[in-house]
Amino acid sequence: MACEPNRVRLLCMLSLTFVFFIVEVVVSRMTSSLSMLSDSFHMLSDVIALIVALVAVRFAEKTHATDKNTFGWIRAEVMGALVNAIFLTALCFTIVLEAVERFTEPHAIESPLVVAGVGAGGLLINLLGLCLFHGHAGSGHGHSHGGHSHGNKNKRGKNSQCENSGNGSSGEETNNLVGNHNSQGDVRPQNEISCKDSTDVQMNGNPHFEDMDHDLDTSQLNMRGVFLHVLGDALGSVIVVVTAIIFTFVWQPCIEGETCMNPCINSHSTDHQHVNHTLVDLLEGPTMSAMKFAGPCWVLYLDPTLCIIMVCILLYTTYPLLKESALILLQTVPKQINMHRLNERLLTLEGVLAIHELHIWQLAGSRIIATAHIKCHDPTSYMEVAKRIKDFFHNEGIHATTIQPEFVTFSSESRDSLCELSCRTQCAPKLCCGSADKKDMKAIGDGKAAAASALEVISETLEQAAGDQVPPLSDAEITVTREVESSL
Amino acid sequence: YKPAKFNLLVKLSGWFRSILSDKTSRNLFFFLCLNLSFAFVELSYGIWSNSLGLISDSFHMFFDCTALLAGLAASVISRWRSNDSFSYGYVRAEVLAGFVNGLFLIFTAFFIFSEGVERALEPPNVNHDRLLPVSIAGLLVNLVGIFVFQHGGHGHSHGGEDQLTPGKGASKQILQGVLLHIIADTLGSVGVIISALLMQRYDLMIADPICSMLISLLIGVSVVPLLKESIGILMQRTPPSLDQKLPESYQRVQQLQGVYNLQDPHFWTLCTDVYIGTLKLLVAPDADTRWILSQTHNIFTQAGVRQLYVQIETASM
Repeated sequence: MACEPNRVRLLCMLSLTFVFFIVEVVVSRMTSSLSMLSDSFHMLSDVIALIVALVAVRFAEKTHATDKNTFGWIRAEVMGALVNAIFLTALCFTIVLEAVERFTEPHAIESPLVVAGVGAGGLLINLLGLCLFHGHAGSGHGHSHGGHSHGNKNKRGKNSQCENSGNGSSGEETNNLVGNHNSQGDVRPQNEISCKDSTDVQMNGNPHFEDMDHDLDTSQLNMRGVFLHVLGDALGSVIVVVTAIIFTFVWQPCIEGETCMNPCINSHSTDHQHVNHTLVDLLEGPTMSAMKFAGPCWVLYLDPTLCIIMVCILLYTTYPLLKESALILLQTVPKQINMHRLNERLLTLEGVLAIHELHIWQLAGSRIIATAHIKCHDPTSYMEVAKRIKDFFHNEGIHATTIQPEFVTFSSESRDSLCELSCRTQCAPKLCCGSADKKDMKAIGDGKAAAASALEVISETLEQAAGDQVPPLSDAEITVTREVESSL
Repeated sequence: YKPAKFNLLVKLSGWFRSILSDKTSRNLFFFLCLNLSFAFVELSYGIWSNSLGLISDSFHMFFDCTALLAGLAASVISRWRSNDSFSYGYVRAEVLAGFVNGLFLIFTAFFIFSEGVERALEPPNVNHDRLLPVSIAGLLVNLVGIFVFQHGGHGHSHGGEDQLTPGKGASKQILQGVLLHIIADTLGSVGVIISALLMQRYDLMIADPICSMLISLLIGVSVVPLLKESIGILMQRTPPSLDQKLPESYQRVQQLQGVYNLQDPHFWTLCTDVYIGTLKLLVAPDADTRWILSQTHNIFTQAGVRQLYVQIETASM
């Protein structure tokens, strides 16, 4: 629902930009100006960026799981943001290339007034786009507070009055993402109001609110990518207009029929007939007393210089977006969450003996997913412990958790930190991160000795139990002490 | 991740050693050096002889070097240990690098296409004489690269090293991206050579833009499989290689004694060949959870998923 205005804005901007692209191509053909043609290709890249963002928004609306994509298509928005950021970076490279070419071979703008006019038109469209997308980034905050119930992220060292929530909210998260400090003032009071309601809603984990939070968060990243693209284009149009105007007023071109020399252009350029004409004149010798020079030369170098400045600005503003989306895709622990403290606090819960393989990552926006192995005493107490742990994660703002239980065997009291259910074959290269646990690799066939604490494997008892109908084993028969991480 | 405050030199030498230790990254590094030096030579020659074509071609080579750099960075980064912020470690870097390379390639194809269109509409009088020997040399360099990286897939990086490094499958994405980039560059050189010959012999000025457009289309098409794969991984899609095996495994788990239902399965790829899964089991109140857990782990290990998180929920009777 909240994405509708997004789509409308994107479509609007897309159609405007596309129309303008066609206009620019036509004008460039009519005036046979190469710079206009290359500017029109920049517009085309803008169109492509908008299409990418639109596709991402469309995909990300399908939040329900499909057969192949069990998490739904939510990540599409992060991908859209990444694609746009990379696209912008590559575009910057191209602009630098063109600017360097212009430095070595400057050429004057032909019919600068037309160029100025078209550039101004492009600038208008881009300014409109900037307003559209900047305005959305601000209003996104407004939405997220109305419905935000328990976007409780654990902010380090910041404790608000609500006992259950940290000060983090989806608004704050988007503050991290967007860096939009204007609405920070809005964030606080609404946060505290909604906090009091949140304690009731928390236990149930109202999915409606969660969706609202999440949708707006991920779209922020995507819209930021589009915004930066439009900003780059606006800067480009500004440069075009400025150089064209300066050109009309400052540049004195060589007029056909007069003998004048263009001192700025090297003889390598091939499309200036003036040069050949005037060189021939010079060589033939008639000494003209009034020699006109096309000038001044610095005007020709203005365009590439401004372009390089623009590239620097663009790269500086694109880098945070790139970093942010790349970090999400790299399965980083979200910024607001302190793994260490989380671990400690989990250990203080009653019934929790040890935690292994705790992984927390961000699917997209405010959807955070956690998995862990938790060791507890026995299956009967397990369900209460599980409930407590689920609540704990709810308070942290993590709602999609999968917790695997690990039960203590009588002989493994002292080895709480080791994992019980790790794999028995040569898994080490295939595991993601065997950092803290020493797993017992019974390397079959590979002959690879692995560093491990000497733990026996359940293998014998399990192989007996390979059939389906096996009576449950009593404690005494279980000699395995390989502690597995229980992920609750 | 707070490394000790070493000075830059020590850090650099550390990275250097890490690069040289693995065959893939060694190859990448040497090819990167080769490419960079060639690009610099081309650039200086272009500036000295004031030929615009050579300068722009050298910039294209620099652009390719960034792809190699991304692959190299990814192969080094993906070996770092996991820490508080990156609980899975950095192994996903290689998927990201493959994706970024694919995107750069698409962008290059788009750019070449637009240049071709520009040249078709307004053919400049480009002097191709100097470009021909340079592009032949570039072609040779790229052929070396193709040869090296086609055989570079079997770098046994887990020969005697610590078991925490990812296996050779991890480099697959990076190498695929880099190889595609080199092939694209080779095609570019081939195209330049062909069009130069056509122009010299048959005076077909239109050959240059048409060649560029064809090459850009080829590049675009060749990059699609890499992009599809990395997008699938980044979107947390169920691993394609498990598509058949998973339903069978679900069946087997549901037939275990005491298991009522299997809910909410999520399986995704962390990086090449490393699969992670979570699922929830609804079990009878009197079921033996320990046995069910280990059986389930067994079943899925046989399917290829080695990191599994099984949540047990007891049905209330």
